[in-house]
Amino acid sequence: MNELGTPKLVRSPKDLENLREEIKSERKPNKSGISVCVSTGCVALDAPKVKEAFMAELEKQGLRDQVEFKETGCLGFCEQGPRVTIYPEEICYFKVKPEDVPEIISQSIVQKKVLERLLYKDPTTGKRAKKLEDIAFYKYQQRLLLENNAKIDPKNIEDYIALGGYSALARVLFEKTPEEVVEEVKKSKLRGRGGGGFPTALKWETTRNAPGKPKYVIVNCDEGDPGAFMDRSLMEGNPHSVLEGLIIGAYAVGAHEGFVYVREEYPIAVENIGIAIKQAEEYGLLGWGIMGSSFNLRVRVHKGAGAFVSGESSALMTAIEGRVGEPKPKYIHTATKGLWDKPTVLNNVKTWATIPLIILKGADWFKGIGTQDNTGTMIFSLVGKVKNTGLVEVPMGMSLRDLIFKIGGGIRNDKKFKAVQIGGPSGGFIPEEHLDIPVDYDELVRVGSMMGSGGMVVMDEDTCMVDVAKYFVDFLLEESCGKCIPCREGLRVLSNTLGNICAGKGKAEDIQTTEEIAETMKESLLCALGRTAANPVLTSLKYFGEDWEQHIKEKRCKANVCKALIDFYIDPEKCQACQLCLAECPSGAIQGDKDQVHWIDQEKCIKCGTCYEICSFHAVQKLSGEPIPPEPKGIKPNRKLKGEKKNE
Amino acid sequence: MVLFNCRHCDYKWDYQGENEYYATCPRCRYKVRIPEDKAELLRKKRWMWSNANARSGLDTEAKTKLPSKEHPVKLLGIAGIVNRTIEDYQYDKSMLIQILLKLQKDFGWLPMEMLVEVSKQLGISINQAYQVASFYKAFSLSPRGRHLIRVCTGTSCKVRGAPTILEKLQSSLGIDTGEVTTDGRFSLETVNCLGGCALGPMMIIDGEYYGNLKLLSLKRILSKYT
Repeated sequence: MNELGTPKLVRSPKDLENLREEIKSERKPNKSGISVCVSTGCVALDAPKVKEAFMAELEKQGLRDQVEFKETGCLGFCEQGPRVTIYPEEICYFKVKPEDVPEIISQSIVQKKVLERLLYKDPTTGKRAKKLEDIAFYKYQQRLLLENNAKIDPKNIEDYIALGGYSALARVLFEKTPEEVVEEVKKSKLRGRGGGGFPTALKWETTRNAPGKPKYVIVNCDEGDPGAFMDRSLMEGNPHSVLEGLIIGAYAVGAHEGFVYVREEYPIAVENIGIAIKQAEEYGLLGWGIMGSSFNLRVRVHKGAGAFVSGESSALMTAIEGRVGEPKPKYIHTATKGLWDKPTVLNNVKTWATIPLIILKGADWFKGIGTQDNTGTMIFSLVGKVKNTGLVEVPMGMSLRDLIFKIGGGIRNDKKFKAVQIGGPSGGFIPEEHLDIPVDYDELVRVGSMMGSGGMVVMDEDTCMVDVAKYFVDFLLEESCGKCIPCREGLRVLSNTLGNICAGKGKAEDIQTTEEIAETMKESLLCALGRTAANPVLTSLKYFGEDWEQHIKEKRCKANVCKALIDFYIDPEKCQACQLCLAECPSGAIQGDKDQVHWIDQEKCIKCGTCYEICSFHAVQKLSGEPIPPEPKGIKPNRKLKGEKKNE
Repeated sequence: MVLFNCRHCDYKWDYQGENEYYATCPRCRYKVRIPEDKAELLRKKRWMWSNANARSGLDTEAKTKLPSKEHPVKLLGIAGIVNRTIEDYQYDKSMLIQILLKLQKDFGWLPMEMLVEVSKQLGISINQAYQVASFYKAFSLSPRGRHLIRVCTGTSCKVRGAPTILEKLQSSLGIDTGEVTTDGRFSLETVNCLGGCALGPMMIIDGEYYGNLKLLSLKRILSKYT
């Protein structure tokens, strides 16, 4: 910054290098620092309170000037949040509470000791890990895109520049022609990270050669896919990397206007990208004459208003035009006729963020990661019933088994693995027999699923496949824009049929009806979201036909999920007559007394499952397809001694 | 602003024209050559405004008739609120969704009068404004309660027990999803994914996140909001 308080304008690559040196010299490498994650996941776990506690404590101890305090983005291990990292030792503390803050400062910052109790504890071995690399969750990952999230304050462009940011842009603007940039990306074999896996360079080339001016570039951050949050994490934690990629892409295709489309449900991401654009403009890295060259680009943020279909490319473009986000027929690709019927390049957040890396380190380096046709890394959000949930960045081609059991640590409560659902409502279920396939675009399509946005929901034996299929159908039914009839009406029929099966009213011909509708939808719909909508149902039928048969013929749900097919029962051996369920039951179906084992009045029971959730002795059981044992009335509970209870 | 100084009569003026090479002095009609740096400024200025104006469909003449800072026309009530928001977006038609989002955020919901006003001032049909407002989930065409509860029903939250949480909320508030309690305290909505999949089940009340929800903690959380 100069004496006027305005940021230093970068007018040439040399200016950028000077600025970088200046920022680096201001920062001492051995200065103690604290970074707290303030992305959505940690915010939900009270990170703002931890942040305030740190501020107050630093002020109190008079260390405000000696310790650098930073709010950074997401490291992906959201379940263990809030996360605090101590620099320069890079000690990571997880599950930090505001009460722990004084201890962290007095021990770790002042005396340079490690606080054992706040370190990550491995759930299988029980060992404590001091650094990130020692944690099994991180050991097998290759973090190209997510690595900098923890080092950068997303609201400060200088952090990004200090780590080598915008040097790829300088190289592109002053050393390469647009054709060379496209050539470099083509050599790297980068495929679109949005799910379809279309070669990025091909898209760019089409747009570059397409007639018509102006051309547009768009970042797609409309992550409507339930179960995925990597775009959010990247946008919140490192918005400048996306922006840099976007500028390079705009230069390559010759666009002078760009859009960032972010979901309104991600307020922090909207805020951070807005700040990033403003700062880049102030530093002369965006806007008129970028870095003193003759290239101009203006970027604007558009907020999505909550529609799943808007994540589809042509629908997103109509949404930016200010109309209802409905897909258009794509006889002519959007790369030639997109936004306002002009050539448009639309790529996912992850694709844009990968571009600076390819330019900086070279296509050959990038090709070395992953498999032959699927280069680079992919970010998955590993969620559901696994021990370690969070964002995982691995090279393409890693096997599903390694992902779930090595990085994810296996299934929660050591239950049996049943299926993994990849790619949200467009993807399918993958059963255990296919766990050894390498994860890449082509293999996943082969087994009936697809990459999608990379959401990976792991399901254990307590999950009913018919019920989950119904969930996806209902989700799509609600989100269908209603333009194509097979989608609008087909999903309604599917939903009704599946509803009947779950309610125990299924007929033998239902399976055939389901298959017919699913096949019709696959062939006749306009957008990719609709064409793949039947994937969950089809894969559920293909791999878990047993579950369907049981529902239809035996009227039984093995996983004890479908409400019409299960009954609740209190085990008199285990019930301690604590009256908790008795007080919470909304329909008053549970009867009993302080010294009487409780029982359920089956006629009153509405099967809400509240008693099952809250019972701390696991006395409430679900039965399906079995006769309910006679309810014991008026017997005394078999109470354990207090000491025994604790040991349990 | 691009200021010019006439070499002939020493008159100073702000050049608004389109020519990149010569500017004519409005007083003595002397032609002043535009230096390269000022031509660059002119080009930049034109670029900054070009697309927005072209898309808004309003020519400059029509735009001056609309109220602005220089020509204030007092608009009262809803018209005033709408006008202030549309001003911020430079009467750009493609910003319809953004304008409605801003109005929704400031006002809480979108009354019919507001949609009519937006369509009038933006020069689009009421049909289009209503279509957008009814299509997207973020817009509410009926009044909302004082506090908005949004429960995530994404896949991960579902597997972790979001349906039970939603049912408990419905029964304890006595309303269905999308409705408002009779005392106007809460309105209940569902959302597809909040992006906190590792922390399910999850909900937001008035922008505050609650992760790892338990059935028994719901009462305590709700009692915080009056």
